[in-house]
Amino acid sequence: MKKILLLFLFLMGQGAWAQTTAPTKREVIGRDIGQLKGIKISGRIIDEISGEALVGATVTVPELEITKITDNNGAFELILDRAEYNIQFRYVGYETIDYPITAVGDGRISIRMLQEDFQLDDVVIFGRDPEKNIRSTDMGAITLSMNTMRELPPFLGEVDIVRSLATLPGVSQVGEASSGLNVRGGGVDQNLIQFAGAPIYNPSHMFGLFTAFNADVVNDVTLYKAVVPAKFGGRSSAILDILPKAGSVAKWGGDLMLSNYSGKLSVNGPLIKDKVSILGGFRISYINWFLNSLSNPTVKNSQANFYDGNLVISAPISENNEFTYSYYTSYDDFAFASDTTISWKNTAHSLQWKSRLTAKLSLEALGYYSGYDYGIFNQSGINDFDINSSIQDLGGKLFLGYNFSETNKVVFGGEYKQVAIQPGELIPTGPGEEILPQKVQDEAGREAGVHFQHEFELGEKFGFSYGLRYDTYQYLGPRVVRQYEENKPVSDGSAIGETNYGDGEVIQTYDGLGPRASFRYSFSKSSSIKLGYNKMYQFIHLISNTATIAPTDVWKLSDNFLEPQIADQYSLGFYNNFKGNIFETSIEVYYKDLQNVVEYKDGATLIMQNHLETELIPAEGQAYGVELYVKKNLGRLTGWVSYTYSRSLRRVITPFEEENINDGEWYASNFDKPHDLTLIGNYKVSTNTSISATFAYSTGRPVTFPEAKFDYSGNSLAYFDSRNQQRIPDFHRLDLAVNFKFKGEGRFFDGDWTFSVLNVYGRKNPFSIFFDDAQDSPPQALRLAILGVPLPSLSYAIKF
Amino acid sequence: MLRRLVFLLLLLPMACIDPYQVEVPDGQQLLTVEGLIHTGPGPHAITLTRSDTYGSVFEGLVRPVTGATVVVRDNEGKIIFLTEGQEARGSYFTPSGFRAEIGKSYTLQIQTADGKVYTSLPERVESVPEIEDISIKTITVPVEGETTPRSGVQLISEINDPADQNNFYFWRLGPITHVLEARPDLFVDRETRTPAPKDCCFICYRTEVTGNQSLFIAVDDNFNGLSTRIPAAFIEDNSLRFVNKLRADLKQYAISQEAYRFLRLVKQQAEISGSIFDPPPATIRGNMISLDNPDEVVLGYFMAAGESTRRIYIDKSDLTFRQIPGTIPDDCRTVFGAVVDPPFDWNP
Repeated sequence: MKKILLLFLFLMGQGAWAQTTAPTKREVIGRDIGQLKGIKISGRIIDEISGEALVGATVTVPELEITKITDNNGAFELILDRAEYNIQFRYVGYETIDYPITAVGDGRISIRMLQEDFQLDDVVIFGRDPEKNIRSTDMGAITLSMNTMRELPPFLGEVDIVRSLATLPGVSQVGEASSGLNVRGGGVDQNLIQFAGAPIYNPSHMFGLFTAFNADVVNDVTLYKAVVPAKFGGRSSAILDILPKAGSVAKWGGDLMLSNYSGKLSVNGPLIKDKVSILGGFRISYINWFLNSLSNPTVKNSQANFYDGNLVISAPISENNEFTYSYYTSYDDFAFASDTTISWKNTAHSLQWKSRLTAKLSLEALGYYSGYDYGIFNQSGINDFDINSSIQDLGGKLFLGYNFSETNKVVFGGEYKQVAIQPGELIPTGPGEEILPQKVQDEAGREAGVHFQHEFELGEKFGFSYGLRYDTYQYLGPRVVRQYEENKPVSDGSAIGETNYGDGEVIQTYDGLGPRASFRYSFSKSSSIKLGYNKMYQFIHLISNTATIAPTDVWKLSDNFLEPQIADQYSLGFYNNFKGNIFETSIEVYYKDLQNVVEYKDGATLIMQNHLETELIPAEGQAYGVELYVKKNLGRLTGWVSYTYSRSLRRVITPFEEENINDGEWYASNFDKPHDLTLIGNYKVSTNTSISATFAYSTGRPVTFPEAKFDYSGNSLAYFDSRNQQRIPDFHRLDLAVNFKFKGEGRFFDGDWTFSVLNVYGRKNPFSIFFDDAQDSPPQALRLAILGVPLPSLSYAIKF
Repeated sequence: MLRRLVFLLLLLPMACIDPYQVEVPDGQQLLTVEGLIHTGPGPHAITLTRSDTYGSVFEGLVRPVTGATVVVRDNEGKIIFLTEGQEARGSYFTPSGFRAEIGKSYTLQIQTADGKVYTSLPERVESVPEIEDISIKTITVPVEGETTPRSGVQLISEINDPADQNNFYFWRLGPITHVLEARPDLFVDRETRTPAPKDCCFICYRTEVTGNQSLFIAVDDNFNGLSTRIPAAFIEDNSLRFVNKLRADLKQYAISQEAYRFLRLVKQQAEISGSIFDPPPATIRGNMISLDNPDEVVLGYFMAAGESTRRIYIDKSDLTFRQIPGTIPDDCRTVFGAVVDPPFDWNP
């Protein structure tokens, strides 16, 4: 292990800074009226070919050690003294421009940047701003651009957002083929995943084998894992903010990708030239076709389909006003031997208005609708039924930003949303009356939050950010709520009465103040230390007895029994960049305290359960860890090493001894994996060939081994006593990919071939170890490996 | 239902399940109780065993607990002594003629040979609806790497569920009897390897006890007060059972809510697949307690239930799929449990 690490570090050192730009003639800017100070130079950066504004490009004035970031319109502004400067313009995936100027008076610069288009031998995987990690007061906010993700070996032929994030320190997944992320010891439901501002409840296809976002329509992804800005709330662990691309207002183009599992196409262009752009994307799997071609009759009758689609209409109606509408949908269905079909679907609409009211005041308003539905359709011929379930969110957000100066900013605003959950309705579909229709009571709730955040710098060395968010939540009728005997465990047997609440009547209210604070001290331009604290509330809970998100999991709102989850997190980090930001390093430590995490009674029934309070037990959680990160941003070889040591623990103490788990002691959560190491490298062999590799290692996750075996009714059974006391074997896997870029004559031949192999040395990493008394064999331990063999995939992508 | 999803992953030719050697903790020797007394004819059995290490292979043998004093006591204080079987060591039987009575509560009391005393919580006997009819359905289960699927017959109990109470159902199969066809004319002498046709016997009747691998239970939450059909048993086609006629006795029990919860946990564990959707292992707690040491874990469950039985004869023509009939090239009486005469009440 140590040797591999050293090898990686050695290789990373080999790629040298080889970026050169020819000297350009110095340009004189402004009308010379003898002005000496306060010369205002504004400008705008656009893509040379498409004419799109480049948002988040950096403008650096090395002489003054200042860096500006372009805004939503690609615009920037510099205040300079009369002098000569060598301004640098940088943007991910574009050629850096050195722009020597002599500033003599107020003026404008128009910059057209050209996509690198792989003419350079080097790969740049800078974020939007190479020094952002050092300078910003943000903690634990990681933005991955699509360009960065493309440098990783693809998963089943394509860029996978969730899996790319899981390579970062402090972020993990339960196992192969499981959806969702565990961020710093939190559960998968503790992350708010939002696409264009709308929450998405199930971000996976095929039970987690694929992520349900089409990478070709995503602009970037930001994960907030430590100090979450006050404008985000509603979940207790992390926020995953996914922003779609906007189409080009200049010309039509698109992407097409075909792999051996799925295909996707996206097209974008001007709906009204220079005014309104449109982008549409569609992805579909052909696994179904693959299943049908197999001869096994059960397999032949099985089916698995998925697709997802996106539509983004963007209208930058003026320099200062932009409207964006985004539509997202994903659909899955799966049937085994055509008797039970499971299907699920996400839908999200959002409309955003961004406006610069004055030079200093900006406004962003967003309205969204998000829906998640799933159904189980039983057509086995006996007691046929359909079960339907849905969640609907309707909400709005308003943010106002006021910049006193570049280093003194305030953001404040409010948020409101209504949530309606239909936990389950069973409709008999068979002939005759054999089963009863059943319906679990609908749930309704509303959440409101107001927030304020102030970020400022004191000189070069100190940066502060503090904020406060106040969340309030109401659980609403109509509903029949049970009362239970005091001093007895909540169960069907201890119910003593019922109360009826009318439509819209408030059943329960919770509220809480969530302070956020972070502090930064810079030792130099390239190193800093940061401290942070935040508190978050969560009013919706994933009721899942499995280690991962299943499509049929129930979400439940906080009610008079189930209190909101509360998380307190303290973090400390040290950041250092070397060699002109070629190397980026960080060490972060954190401690997180969780309250009211949901745990389950033994053998709880969760589906079609009208009295979930009888099956749930509140738990406390605790998580802590240290995260190390070394990243090489530039050169022939780029990549990163991330290592995390962390623990995620749970404890259940109730007034009733028989309900305590593990006698009220702390025990490892289902996703507690103390050691977690990821090595990622991308080596540019030549201008059109690159090789990438990912190696991942982690401690096996906890499992419960039986204390004894006993016989009952002809079955040999396991007796389990204490939860999660053993572990499955450690996980390690190597993935490799080779990418060729062909430059052909016609534009359809400019293809990108990627051949990848997952699990190169074919390790059977256990997803689980379980104990079974299978027929014809003694009761024994069995291992389920999801990726048990090397798995090749081939994909072909073109841009047109 | 979700456990089946794992098959999808297996189809994607990359996933696999295989035996795995793990270090399991040394097993505790816990007293395990399995027993059901009911309103049907006896004798009813209570079986006592001790748990052992959950071995990767054959380690740890579940041993019977012999020489214990086992009594069942009803809520009127009447005590029924059970006697240990001469052959079935560790199994204790109620005296002939004993039947549980509807509305009464029973507790099981045990004193082991080493003097430790155990008792169950009281179990009340509830009345059970009759099985109105039994219908059957042929079930096939594909086997990986084989062209012929496994198959068998599912018995479906038709019941009129009473509307005025919450009913918990449990089904077991009594001994099954089927016609056994053999070909003694094809007999080959083992030593000389020459054909040595026998004259007898072509047709026998074989009675056997089939253990139900899977448990059949139901709760009337979604069919309260309705006439409904519930899968209640499964008889696997072992290529001999369905060559002619088969007779089965389906027994339907009304169990308590706690007993239902216990069996549901047993069923859940027995059907675990290791998939990502499996619930985490649950502690299966029963209704037995130690009177000497309240912290001692006692496994298993003592049930008391109302019983109703219904008989069905299944003809081979009732099946939509059958295994290719097996050939027994010998006198059918050589098969264990087979006799030439049909049972006295054989009445297809």
